[in-house]
Amino acid sequence: MNEKADRAHGTESETQARIAELKYSLHQMRQNPLVLAGLILVVFFTAVAAVATLLVSNDEAFMFDFGQSYCWSNAVFSWTQLEATCPPGTNFILGTDGFGRDLLRMIILSIPLDLKIAFLIVAAASAFGVALGAIAAWIGGKFDEAILRITDVFFAFPGLVLALVFAALFGRTVQTLTLAVLLVWWPTYVRLTRGQVLVEKEKTYAEALKSIGVSPARIVLFHIIPNAIYPIIVQMTLDIGGVILTFSALIFLGFSPSPALPELGNLAADGINHVFTAPWLIVFPGLTILLIALAFNLMGDGLRDILDPRLRR
Amino acid sequence: MIFVLFGVSAIVFYMARGFPSAFAPWAQYVSEKLKPGQLEAIIKAHGFDQPLYIQYWYWLQDVFHGDWGYSNWANGLPTYYVFVSRFPFTVELTIAATIFTVALGIPLGILSAVKNNTAIDHVARIIALTGYSVPSYWFAYILQLVFFYYFYTWGLPNLPSGGVISQGLAGTVPTITGLPILDGLLAGNLTYTVDALAHVILPAFNLSFISLGYLARIVRASMLDVLRQDYITMARSKGLPERIVIYRHALRNALIPAMTLTGIFVAGLLGGAIITETVFSWPGVGNVSLRAVFLGDSNFLLLYCLVTALIIVVTNLVVDVLYLFIDPRIKY
Repeated sequence: MNEKADRAHGTESETQARIAELKYSLHQMRQNPLVLAGLILVVFFTAVAAVATLLVSNDEAFMFDFGQSYCWSNAVFSWTQLEATCPPGTNFILGTDGFGRDLLRMIILSIPLDLKIAFLIVAAASAFGVALGAIAAWIGGKFDEAILRITDVFFAFPGLVLALVFAALFGRTVQTLTLAVLLVWWPTYVRLTRGQVLVEKEKTYAEALKSIGVSPARIVLFHIIPNAIYPIIVQMTLDIGGVILTFSALIFLGFSPSPALPELGNLAADGINHVFTAPWLIVFPGLTILLIALAFNLMGDGLRDILDPRLRR
Repeated sequence: MIFVLFGVSAIVFYMARGFPSAFAPWAQYVSEKLKPGQLEAIIKAHGFDQPLYIQYWYWLQDVFHGDWGYSNWANGLPTYYVFVSRFPFTVELTIAATIFTVALGIPLGILSAVKNNTAIDHVARIIALTGYSVPSYWFAYILQLVFFYYFYTWGLPNLPSGGVISQGLAGTVPTITGLPILDGLLAGNLTYTVDALAHVILPAFNLSFISLGYLARIVRASMLDVLRQDYITMARSKGLPERIVIYRHALRNALIPAMTLTGIFVAGLLGGAIITETVFSWPGVGNVSLRAVFLGDSNFLLLYCLVTALIIVVTNLVVDVLYLFIDPRIKY
């Protein structure tokens, strides 16, 4: 991390230095095929998410009307698997699911929801975690100790259980599930930021700023956090994949608000009813999740190498 | 550490007792023989009408007397009994998954570091990254689909799709340790052992596929770090073959962080892999805990979360202490 020793040169040269750093990072990125592949996939999925409703119709009329439940629960009128599911091929590229919906269309419709929730959770978790971690590290003492103990409690929980319990407590809506995943995710950022800020605040530039009477809020917000931001950015990139996996797992395990919700875990959950008769129902939604998570992980993994000066080759 | 356990139990208590779908905590006292007014008396006698923090205090007192309550969904069996009878299955799965993880993850990481920035490195890294990008519930079904269903339809020897033991063999050996593989060996029943082994392969592989990615990444990073050290250059310059440099000089130091990570994995897995156990109908504690969430069985959830938290906290402690013995460079 570049020490901001050259304060005398003013902000102009500092900006130039940052731009030079960025250019070097971009150059490194171009050298690394894995990051490039990740970046292309990320751009592709984001683009698909942005234009999803243009690609396929979001019209409710296309969807099975779940209000008319007699259509599929009635023994006389029921749609059996063979009628509803149609294998991939000429009519439907990826086939149709257990409710007779075009699977490709459902996957395209569910990508924006998954990405939106993942971005939302990661943004909220990192904003909250970074703020709390920075304040704890700056103030220190009893407050720091208390925050640390609280994160300890959250780290001691077995992975999904906290989210499961929270979701069971507040009911099955997308908002509840988002909050549930958020509840699990924020402590990582507290720890990460706290460690970074503790290192940075001992450095000379922080001391210097303090000595000329800059307010602590300003030092932390405008000087320390920008210098400590790289590991946090890497963590955020990596976490988007993890959040999508956790969120879809919650839905898959049975917290789905409605079978009609276009969400990748939900589509896969529908597929388990037909796993041996219509395997494409579970294969393609899961593959999409895998690709999205892989894209963000490839990018995050590469970014770590690129942004960490010690790992630069 | 004590604070962590209290924190975990308080959070779970407040949440689990508040489930809208939950069993009432007094459900086990309800029967048709109750006369009008008796249930109210029971609720009052057991303090279920008190505020939650007082109920939590009562619960703590019970726990310190060794009373973990009853699991409502398991026909009112004691929670402690339910947990203890299910835990060996989780232990077996954990051991098998750890073996897979270490046996696959470490070579992958070494390969990736030694062949740094070549095609082999890229492939190894993509495998590792795929490992922790894969939705485990999905991968579990894919494994079942291929190794159970397709192998069966192609007439190949297929692996079972779930459970710990085939139905015909269940109960043919006495339960000594609770681990089916070990029980089969102790009873000298080879068919039973092989059957139990066949059942554990798919869930263990599913679990390890996620963790081997992390392990391979850590091994790669620390190996690259070690290979850049002066003493490796020294070893090379005195003409040692590359194989000896890597396996005798570099690997030992590179494996230290890997050991930490393995410890954390084991702790996490002992807490029950909820998704994998559910998909493979593995009767471990993770599977039961998911059912407990849906049925609002707060007693089981409390015991489960406390034991898991204890395992995680103790493992972290043990790993820290082990460091001292393994890495002489570290001094506290």
